[in-house]
Formats: sequence, C-alpha cells, structure tokens
Amino acid sequence: MIDVLALVAVRSGTRILDGVSLGVPEGSVTTLVGPSGSGKSTLLRCLNGLEPFSGGSVTIAGHRLAAGPQPPGALERLRRDVGMVFQQFNLFPHLTVIDNVTLGPRVLGRRPADEVRAAALVLLDRVGMGRFAAARPATLSGGQQQRVAIARALAMGPRVMLFDEPTSALDPRMSAEVLDVIVELARGGQTMVVVTHDHGFARRAATQVVELASGRVQRTGTAEAILGAAG
Amino acid sequence: MRPPRPARRILARALLGAAALLPPAHAADLDAVRARGSLVWAADQEGGGPHVYADPDDPARLRGFEVELAALVAAELGVEPRFQQGQWDRLPLLLGRSADCVINGFESTPERQRDWRCSRPYYAYALQLVARRDVALDSVEGLAGEGPAGPWRVGVLTGSAAEIEMRRRGDLRVEVVGFDGTVDCLEQVRSRVIDAALMDDCIAWFNADRFPELRCVGRPFAGGTYVILTAPDTPALGAAIDDALGRLVADGRLEALYDRWDMAGRQQMLLLRDAAEVPPAPRSGLAELMRSTLPLLLRSAGMTILLSCAAFPLAVVLGLSVAVGRLHGPAWLRPALTLYVEVLRGTPLLLQLYAIFYLLPKVGLALPALAAAILGLALNYSAYESEIYRAGLKAVPPGQLEAALALGMSKWQALRHVVVPQAVRIVMPPVTSDFIALFKDTSVCSAITVVELTKRYSVLALSSGRIAELAVVTALLYLAMSWPLSLLSRWFEQRLENPAGRDRP
Ligand SMILES: Nc1ncnc2c1ncn2[C@@H]1O[C@H](COP(=O)(O)OP(=O)(O)OP(=O)(O)O)[C@@H](O)[C@H]1O
Ligand SMILES: [Mg+2]
Repeated sequence: MIDVLALVAVRSGTRILDGVSLGVPEGSVTTLVGPSGSGKSTLLRCLNGLEPFSGGSVTIAGHRLAAGPQPPGALERLRRDVGMVFQQFNLFPHLTVIDNVTLGPRVLGRRPADEVRAAALVLLDRVGMGRFAAARPATLSGGQQQRVAIARALAMGPRVMLFDEPTSALDPRMSAEVLDVIVELARGGQTMVVVTHDHGFARRAATQVVELASGRVQRTGTAEAILGAAG
Repeated sequence: MRPPRPARRILARALLGAAALLPPAHAADLDAVRARGSLVWAADQEGGGPHVYADPDDPARLRGFEVELAALVAAELGVEPRFQQGQWDRLPLLLGRSADCVINGFESTPERQRDWRCSRPYYAYALQLVARRDVALDSVEGLAGEGPAGPWRVGVLTGSAAEIEMRRRGDLRVEVVGFDGTVDCLEQVRSRVIDAALMDDCIAWFNADRFPELRCVGRPFAGGTYVILTAPDTPALGAAIDDALGRLVADGRLEALYDRWDMAGRQQMLLLRDAAEVPPAPRSGLAELMRSTLPLLLRSAGMTILLSCAAFPLAVVLGLSVAVGRLHGPAWLRPALTLYVEVLRGTPLLLQLYAIFYLLPKVGLALPALAAAILGLALNYSAYESEIYRAGLKAVPPGQLEAALALGMSKWQALRHVVVPQAVRIVMPPVTSDFIALFKDTSVCSAITVVELTKRYSVLALSSGRIAELAVVTALLYLAMSWPLSLLSRWFEQRLENPAGRDRP
C-alpha cells in the first residue's frame, strides 16, 4: 500500500531525511517512533505531499510521487485517498461538527448532500460524537475534537490514514478515548501509519514499528522487538 | 486601515463648522481698509475666464476683467487691491473675515439682497446655452423634448443664476449637473458626459475659441446683473464702492474696460443704466425652512446611502481578491498588486475621482458622474480593505490550510471554503468601521458633480442663509445613518471576543 524508496529531504542545508526506505502492506498498522527531531513528522508529511522532498520516491495508495514539483492535480488526487490527522486537530472553527465532516465530500465529491450527511452521521457515531453534530469545535474537549478530526478524514473514504502524534496534545483520559477509536479502525482493516510516543498503543495495535534516528531508519520490527517487553 | 472616527465627532465638527461660518463681531469697514492700505477682494480662479483665471502663460499671474475692475475700484478708494482665493459658492462667507468684498460674477438675487450688501450693478449678463455641434438642439425650448439618452443633462456652475434658472424651469426635461468650474463643465460637454451647459453669455464667448467642437445654442435669455458683495455691517465700505463704480461708469473707464475684453462696452453701459432694482427676499420661518429643505436633504441622504452601499461591497470584493492574490497568487502578480495598493493608498481620493471623471473620457471611456463616484470610492477603499484582509488571512493558523489541503482540496478550494471565511470573520470589526469612514468620504464626490448630503447642505445653507440650523439637521441625518453602523461594528467585535457559548447543542 505504501512504498518509500531512499527518501531524502533537505531543509536549510540539513538532510532531515537521509535515505529512508520502508514498506507498509495493505491492512497493516505501522507506528513511527524515534527521538524528537528525528524526522518522523517530515516523513509522514512527505507521504501525502504536504512537504516536498529532493530525492527518492513514494508510492502510496496507487499514486506515485517523485522528487521535485508534482504535475498539476496529482497531489489533490493522492490526498483524496490518504487521510491525515494532526496533533493540533485543526478542525475548521467556523463550521459545526457535522459541517467539518461533510466539507470534503461536499467540495470534492459528487454524491447528493443528504447522502453525504447521512454518511457523516454514521462516521460521527463510530467515533462516539454523533450527538455533537451541531456543536462548534470551540465548545468541545481536545479528545472530542480529535475524534471529529478522525471522522473528517474518514469521510473522504481514504485507503490510508496518517496520524501525526494524535494524542500528544491530550491528557491521559482523553488520549485513551482517541486511541480506542484508532485501535477500532485498525481492527476494521484500515491501513495506517501512526507517529506516536505511546508505546502502549504500539503494543496493542502495531503490525510493525519503524524507529527513526537522525533521518534514517534505525530499526524495523515488531513492537516487542523494538520496544521490548511491557513494563 | 484608517482610524475609525466615532459618529459623535461628525456632530461636533458640523457644529464647529457652523460656528466658524457665522458672521464675526467686527468686520473691517472703510476706515480699517484705508488704514490697512489694501482692499481684499475675493474670487475663485477655478470659476474661469473672462472673470478671474490663472494666466495660461504664467499660472502665478491672475487675469480677467474683474482683476482689472478690482484694481480700478481699489485705486478709487486710495488703496492697493489684494486677491483672496475661495470656492465660488462660498465666497460671501469670507466677507468680514478674510475679505472686504467679493467681485466674481455674483448675480443680484433677492436672497443676496437680503443677506449681504449688494453694490450697484457693474455688468449685465444673460444666459447662454452651449452644446456640441453634432447635438440636435437649436433653442432652449428644445430642452423640453427628448434628450439623446433620457432627459437632457445640462451642466451649470453650482449656485449660479444658470442653476437657479434650470431648476426653476418645470417645462424642460433636464437633469441639472453642478460644477465648480466652467472649463470642467465644458470639458464634460465635449466628452459627451453631459449634453449641454448653461452659463453667462460672457463665459460662452470667452471659451468659444477654446472649444471649437461646441457652439452657442439660440439667443441669450433670462438676464440679470453682477454686483459687488460686502458684509452688511460695513455700510461705509459699501457706499464707497458704489461711488467708485459710479465714477468708473461716468468717465468711461468701465466702458473701455469691457471693450478691451471684447464684452460690448457701449451695450453694457446702456443695459446698466436701465437695470431694474432687485427687491430683497423675505426671511422665512423655521417651519417654512424645514418644509422647503428637508425633502431635498432627505433625497441627498439617499444619494449618500446609495454611494456607500454600492461602493463598499465592490471595495470589499476587490480588496479581498487583491489580498488573496498578494499572499497566494503567482509570483509575477504580487508586485503588481503591491503597486496597486500603494498607488491607491498614497494618492488622495479627490485626485482619483478627478482622474476617473475627467481623464477617462479622453481615452474614450466617459462614465456618468454617479458611476465614476462609485468606481472611485470602490477602488480607493479596495486598497485599504486589501490591507485589512491581508492581516486577516495571515491571522488564520497555517494548520487550517494544511487540513483542507490534506482532504484533497486544491489551494483555491481551501482558500475559498476554509481560510477566507475565517479571515472575513476576523476582520469584520475593522471592515465595518471602514464602512463608516467611506460613508463620510462620499462627500468628496461632490467634486465631480454628485450632489450628496454635504453638498446639498452647503447649497441650501448658502442660498437660504440658514447655516447653523441646517448644519444641525444635516449632522442629525448623518448620525441617524452612521450610528447603526457603529452599533453593528461593536456587535461584531463582541461576537469575535466571545465566540464560544453559542451554538451549544
Ligand atoms: N522547514 C524546516 N526548516 C529547517 N528545519 C526544519 C524544517 N522542518 C523541520 N526541520 C527540522 O527537521 C528536524 C526533524 O523535524 P520533524 O518535525 O520531522 O521531527 P519529529 O521527529 O517529528 O520531532 P517531534 O517528535 O519533536 O515532533 C527537526 O530538527 C526540525 O527542527
Ligand atoms: Mg513531529
């Protein structure tokens, strides 16, 4: 589902990613771990073209990205198949919860409005936010906002989901409710890449753990192999 | 962005302005003029020739038959003439303040006889209609028929006898357009912005060679006389000026002056000898004043609203487009847009209006005054709005754009559905207060013949002599219009400060 080959990203003269290669099979859960500044976010954002790279290639959900500028429309098509969830949620504050979830399909899809809305309500129920459909993001807790953000990404029907530290901005109780949602998604067979410091999550859900250090893949393996036994 | 001006200040400024216009306690009578050694005479060079105009070969020098008349009168009083510039329809207000007399083609009217001291007549005029040679019109009565496009648009000097005559004639199908200068007026006849112009015969003769595309239509009609105005409380000066004019007529110097200016001296002397006296108009009561002026003031307030409500949405749309272009547009576009903003912010609105109204016709784009005013206001304010929107767009966190892009939207879709709506909300308070500023700036449009509330006030106040009363009424009208906007602006501010707590399920 994802193939990264010898990815190189340079920022201000420094090689932030220095020849990263990895593969993510369909239906698997990959967690990216590594010290702060090791390039996890940069790698994740290269996967959906939010950041450019100068060497190597990415193949994801049937789309191929090469180094340098992309042909017009290519990134938009790729991103419709690749959902992303951010550390800071980034919900649209001027829209209600339901409108946050339906905006993507409304702008980009061809389905009728009531169908889009019904599908969005199903997604909101799945993340436990169905009764907040009419609320504004500012009135929600962080955990609730992040669950809405997940529903928003799912509304485009992505083949791959990318998570960049989805629980780092949350307290443990809210973290748990968000992680439960992600684990549930993983059990449903959703292909995903999750950047996280949460070893518990990696052990519960990860098919493979990739450890980055200074822009290189340090180790790849199962959660037990990379993170050691629990406790 | 402009600093918001509280609506209350309009009232204060109007009242201060009215106080400044009231006649002063001590006007300079004849003794003071002699002691000073100079007679200060007021006129408007912009009014044009043959009265008073800047010498085309040496713009610092004044020429005109009234320049020479003023010199003769001053010499008779044994003093030097000194020129004072002022806007034509407001010249009498300078009397007793910065001018001793007004010599500038002021017709003897019942209102002027009532409000000022009018000298004996020094010139007998009649009104002359002027039109393009290719316009089918052969007499004033022709104005009763269909114009080239609806009613005939006829230019006049604001406050002149020509304007009074055109507004008085109910039998003609005319739309009267007021100008501050004859040359501007004739320019707009030439470029077909208006269909004809009505002016004193001597002005038409004077400009005949300058505007070969124009011709005099029919014979001069509805005549009257020019008088020198002095303040009511300088009777000795007024009498001395009368005596001086009498001597100039008696010894032939005035006749010679008119002959020098090709203004038929002999005929003038005969007309002046037989000129009828004009009786002063009675002073009207307050109720009468309101009855006659309030409908006109209200109609002009409507024009102020029309100008604001048409120009501001345009300014907002333009400004937003410019802001988006400067932040997200292609690299080649950005410097062009920056230049657009700097030029429009760095030059006066008045100049921009002049350029649109008087210069565009020269390249074949003749806009009617109202359209020119709306376009000018919209362009000018679009520069200010674009700066506000630029700040607003920058205030939207970058994560918002990224989240929209991550869904698969193009940059323009992301801007349109996610970033711009948020920026618009953020800038609502400053944009609303700019609307109030534009609302007041509409008064500048009077410079290109649009009669809005301030212009109407000025015309009515001068013709009725009720400066203070009408100032209060006008200020109240402005307040009634701008106060709701102030409240709206404050409401937006509060909503922005306290966005949570709404829409809770
Ligand atoms: N545009 C940029 N210009 C310069 N340096 C950058 C830029 N983007 C990222 N970096 C640097 O690259 C390094 C890797 O950044 P990245 O955000 O990918 O790390 P990370 O592994 O996600 O760290 P964290 O765990 O703190 O989120 C950091 O040292 C960061 O300062
Ligand atoms: Mg990171």
